[in-house]
Amino acid sequence: MIEIKGLAKAFAISKGNKLSDTEKQDVRYSEKAFHSVRDVSFTCGNGEVLGLLGPNGAGKTTTLRMLSTALKQDSGSVFINDIDVLQKPIQARKEIGFLSADTGLYGKLTAFENVAYFARLHGMKDSAIKTRIDELFSMLDMHTFANRRVDTMSTGMKQKTAIARAVVHSPKVVILDEPTTGLDIMTVQTVLDFIKSLKAQGTPVIFSTHHLDEVGALCDRVVVIDKGVSSFSGSLAEFKQLTPDGDLRQAFLAIIANQAQQGAA
Amino acid sequence: MWQVYFKELTELLRDKKTLIFVILLPILIFPVLFGIVGLVMATTTSKAMEEQHRYVIINEQQAPQFAEALFYHKNFKKVETTLNSEQELVAAIRNDEFDVALVIPADFASRKAAVQQTEWQLIYNRSSQLDFMYNYFDEMLKTYTEELQRGTLSQLGVDPANLTAILKPVELTRVNTAEQRENIGESMGAILAYALVLLCLSGAMYPAVDMGAGEKERGTLETLLICPVSRTAIVLGKFLTVLTTALMTALITVVSLGVWGGIISAFADLSKVSEALASITIVDLMLMFSLLLPTAAIFAALLLAISIYARTFKEAQNYMSPLTILVIVPLMIAMAPGMELDVTTALIPLTNIALAIKELLKGTADYGLLALIFASTTALAGALIAFCVHWFQQEKVLFR
Repeated sequence: MIEIKGLAKAFAISKGNKLSDTEKQDVRYSEKAFHSVRDVSFTCGNGEVLGLLGPNGAGKTTTLRMLSTALKQDSGSVFINDIDVLQKPIQARKEIGFLSADTGLYGKLTAFENVAYFARLHGMKDSAIKTRIDELFSMLDMHTFANRRVDTMSTGMKQKTAIARAVVHSPKVVILDEPTTGLDIMTVQTVLDFIKSLKAQGTPVIFSTHHLDEVGALCDRVVVIDKGVSSFSGSLAEFKQLTPDGDLRQAFLAIIANQAQQGAA
Repeated sequence: MWQVYFKELTELLRDKKTLIFVILLPILIFPVLFGIVGLVMATTTSKAMEEQHRYVIINEQQAPQFAEALFYHKNFKKVETTLNSEQELVAAIRNDEFDVALVIPADFASRKAAVQQTEWQLIYNRSSQLDFMYNYFDEMLKTYTEELQRGTLSQLGVDPANLTAILKPVELTRVNTAEQRENIGESMGAILAYALVLLCLSGAMYPAVDMGAGEKERGTLETLLICPVSRTAIVLGKFLTVLTTALMTALITVVSLGVWGGIISAFADLSKVSEALASITIVDLMLMFSLLLPTAAIFAALLLAISIYARTFKEAQNYMSPLTILVIVPLMIAMAPGMELDVTTALIPLTNIALAIKELLKGTADYGLLALIFASTTALAGALIAFCVHWFQQEKVLFR
């Protein structure tokens, strides 16, 4: 279970940097700071898949970074299975499996070594690591390149390795930042099947994406973030009801347009 | 911390650049340097010794014996000229009409007979680094003047056998109280310290850049930060890796220097150097290493802090370049003549290490001062490691 309430995060603007005219009109910019995330709230229950949508620069990645404990929020709260990530970050990290937009792999290590390294950092014993990696590599069809160095792998192979690395410690919560971007159709299907298997195991999954077909196929809940605010949070059915014909693209655009109108007002 | 350390070390050992900078370069630097210097010197010397210089001699009838010796010298070839003023001769040499002119005064024979001193002029281009020309003339003139001295003494009724005693009645002989080791330590110590400290820096530089800015650039840092490991453990693991490579570079260099020095000693007659080096004990070497340890720790912490701050590999390299100059200055101070280790210099970072290594090589180290240096350097290293750990906790540094 993931619970986020009133999350906010600002980054200081360097003294030498002058704001452009566009930035001056943007509600997220103040004289000294850029308020990347201003007010984001949502929940994701066990066995639910939550699609995090929003235009580029909306604050999705910053939100996911706070969820994963890489960044500390300025205000608001994040609870992962009732663990406050601000108070107990190390304990929270044991619960989280995180896949960043970059694959986050070490090029000079093999697929096996990459996954095993992160397993050890999660405190797993060597015997348990071998069993778990074998299980994951079979599930993701990775045995053929298990001993191949990452810097010689294709994009698809890297993404599979990154997924295995993110879930090697059997996390209770999985967060994926644009997991299908730049992948071929076969690898996208592998990733989507993997998310389905996590859902079937009752693991809450949050994933940010720009692909609305993936949202329609996988998600139970949808959150739209625009200009650092969660402007929509609800079930997939509620999201579809925003337009008469249930078109996801139109629903998304309607939310963004509504947010822009509110901002102008 | 150890998981991070061993993983970083594995990656570095698989990296060609690290292998070149940390292992191959220190092994090859000395033989290559010795080889290049030796080859250049040998080629230049051989070329200079085979060269034949065109000369003119003015008023040669005044010193026929000398003129004859010069005529039969294998490195000289006589050229006839009607010129005789200094300006004309200089201009002719500049126009490459000949290489050297010897001007004997027109009254040399009469002044010689009157036992009066005269001055000869040697005109040539001195820009050549190896001044063989002057050496040839100096050598021939020594023989010639000795003959003149014997002749003059005979004229004056003095026994020429007493020539040496008459010309130099007192000879000052130096008795050096310094041991051979002390002499070698004095001349080589500062240079060795300079090389060792700079090698520690260069050995730490590439791994530090890779482990901070490199991780940011590759997008692996974020993945590492969300592991259930404290950031202190992560930064200490990285710090230990950089420290290891810095010390390995210095250690491999010293071993390489020892091996190649031994090989050269075996072929050349350097028994005094071998004896002096043999008198350096294992305790001295361990003390040198114990001083290099906190020095390498200072570099590792500083470079890692810079690297963590930088956004990219290139940005980190740009920040690190001025650091090399900051390190060279105190090392140069230690090499200045008359610079000695005392309580004041023992507190100047890096200068103190260079002076201490020199004293250890000389065998004249004051152990009290060595303890002071170790304590002050360790304190500085500790402060920098603490800063590096603090730096690694800052979001504004990690996510710039």
